[in-house]
Amino acid sequence: MKRLVVSTIILAALAAATPTRAADPVKIGLSGPFTGGSSSMGVSMRDGVKLAVDEVNRAGGVLGRPIALIERDDQAQNEVGVQIAQELVNKEKVVATLGFINTGVALSAQRFYEDAEIPVINNVATGSAITKQFLPPDYDNNYIFRTSANDTIQASMIVDEAIDHRHFQKVAIMADSTNYGQLGRQDLEAALARKGMKPVAIEKFNIKDVDMTAQLLRAQQAGADAILTYGIGPELAQIANGMSKLGYKVPLVGSWTLSMSSFIDNAGPNGEGARMPETFIQEPTTPKRKAFIEAYQKAYAIDRMPSPVSAAQGYDSVLLLVAAIKQAGSTDGKKIREALESLKDPVDGVITTYHTPFSATNHEAITPELVVFGEVRGGRVGFAYEQDRKAAETASN
Amino acid sequence: MVILAQLAASGIAVGAIYAAIAFGYQLTFATSKTLNFGQGEALMLGALVGLSLVGWTGYWLMLPCVLVFGAAQGAVVERLGIRPAIRARSEAGWIMSTIALGIIFRNMAENIWGRDDLKFPSPLSEAPLVFSGVRMLPMELLVVAGALLMMVAIELFNRYSIYGKAIVATANDRDAAGLMGIDTSRVITLSYALSSMTAAFAGVLVAPVTLTGATMGAVLGLKAFAVAIIGGLNSGIGAIVGGLILGIAETTTGYYLATGYKDVPGLVLLLLVLSFKPAGLFGKTAIRKV
Repeated sequence: MKRLVVSTIILAALAAATPTRAADPVKIGLSGPFTGGSSSMGVSMRDGVKLAVDEVNRAGGVLGRPIALIERDDQAQNEVGVQIAQELVNKEKVVATLGFINTGVALSAQRFYEDAEIPVINNVATGSAITKQFLPPDYDNNYIFRTSANDTIQASMIVDEAIDHRHFQKVAIMADSTNYGQLGRQDLEAALARKGMKPVAIEKFNIKDVDMTAQLLRAQQAGADAILTYGIGPELAQIANGMSKLGYKVPLVGSWTLSMSSFIDNAGPNGEGARMPETFIQEPTTPKRKAFIEAYQKAYAIDRMPSPVSAAQGYDSVLLLVAAIKQAGSTDGKKIREALESLKDPVDGVITTYHTPFSATNHEAITPELVVFGEVRGGRVGFAYEQDRKAAETASN
Repeated sequence: MVILAQLAASGIAVGAIYAAIAFGYQLTFATSKTLNFGQGEALMLGALVGLSLVGWTGYWLMLPCVLVFGAAQGAVVERLGIRPAIRARSEAGWIMSTIALGIIFRNMAENIWGRDDLKFPSPLSEAPLVFSGVRMLPMELLVVAGALLMMVAIELFNRYSIYGKAIVATANDRDAAGLMGIDTSRVITLSYALSSMTAAFAGVLVAPVTLTGATMGAVLGLKAFAVAIIGGLNSGIGAIVGGLILGIAETTTGYYLATGYKDVPGLVLLLLVLSFKPAGLFGKTAIRKV
């Protein structure tokens, strides 16, 4: 009996000692599609995140502890995203989660983080509703942040480009049937309505559709002189290829997914000239961007980044989170959220240098001024307007 | 009128793709009363293997290599997934095992060829041909011709070769064929090899029109399954007619009704066929004595 008591005490002491080890890593969750149609964005985002985590860990980590990423493949499926959220919150006990490429996955998985008071930084998903899901007064605090250009920004930029800059009179909207496409379509319609316009055709397509004849003929018959898109790479390529087949050549202007390599490669010459809003273009316009692009190319042995926007936003999301943990001096979710909402020191990211990007009421790091138009040219995305490149070279340094 | 013709032309091109895959379902159903639910993955593997070879051999020389690969892949599926289920007299074991093998093949392909959709170089010009206002890609015509040719070839094989006759005999009555000295389990292996061969061929045929990637087979395989049910699981003509009906229904509904309802008529048709003519439009109703 005595021996049992002694061993119990020893065991209890051991158990109590373990969690206070100095080098216990700070666990950060990472949820994104690493397989399937949106995986080029997911994998680029993950690679950007890893690059930043490696840099932070080499510099001694955060609060004297290394960062450990807990990566999970949500397969772009809402229900898988929900399972992963539960696992990361309850089993892995992450201090924060980065990621979400797909608006639908973000909308269905975020609730678990909100309930557990764990901050989430969306670094790619763009649906306007994402950061507005848990607003006060219905909820005490909003734990959802974002480092990508949301669809409200993108849609109004797309419409400005099509109507004000290029003076198209009749535009058609083509959007896929996912949450991403349909929420984006609503934003596009709203942006057009603000200019007192209506699209001449609103067409829908499914993921993996191989034939776009019906959609394109409807747009053509309605006399559309430009097509505004909200979809992902492979189907956008089918639209461009279908237009070439039908001899219907009007410009494509759409959300940032027109910069996906799966669009550029599969559309080939038919995709040239497509324009999209971008937070980051793979051109070394500042020393920070040059260093980032070179580090990425070296780490993953590639020349063209599959999705430069995802990589840059992923990278910046880590820097912002680390700055917040440092400022909070704690890994408590509540304190990290408060620190994120009041970041004191500027954070030198790839997209820009962030000066207090978030506040209690604003959880969007990207403002319209940080977004430029990209254009597909020679199989790569470049600046659509020369003055944007010049501005990018002078602005942030 | 030009619009309707254009919709029909595009519908026929898509329908031929469905028909070619649906035909593969029929081949194995005839001999073993089992289906390969990894048919879409067999198509995907054919297309990706073809894509790897096409740089070395060119398009036309690549075709026989892909046919051999497809046959081997089908035989593997039969050995691993079907034979144990048939031996165990399992009613539904083959459903799970072919679905599981399909997932394994898809994950393997993602590891080998990556996760993105890739461009398959078109052997023919990518400039459309114009027939009095109706535009079609030369490759779409090749898909239609290739699918028909493939079905005719299989039909001739079944009618005139000794192996084909063994297949037909097994399809008619497996037990009787076995008593006549036909090794029916080898015939079933052969039918799986043929089935995956047609899928692999369909894969390299459609790849320049659709995109090529590990997930290309999922939706096509599912739609082709609907076509096989609509047309009847034991009728080659049924696969063609079913494919064309579904393809044309999709494009015309998309245009005249709304593109959001494009997939509805196919599914409604599937429900109607299942409730009024469960064996399919061209299927023979089998009387089963219990």
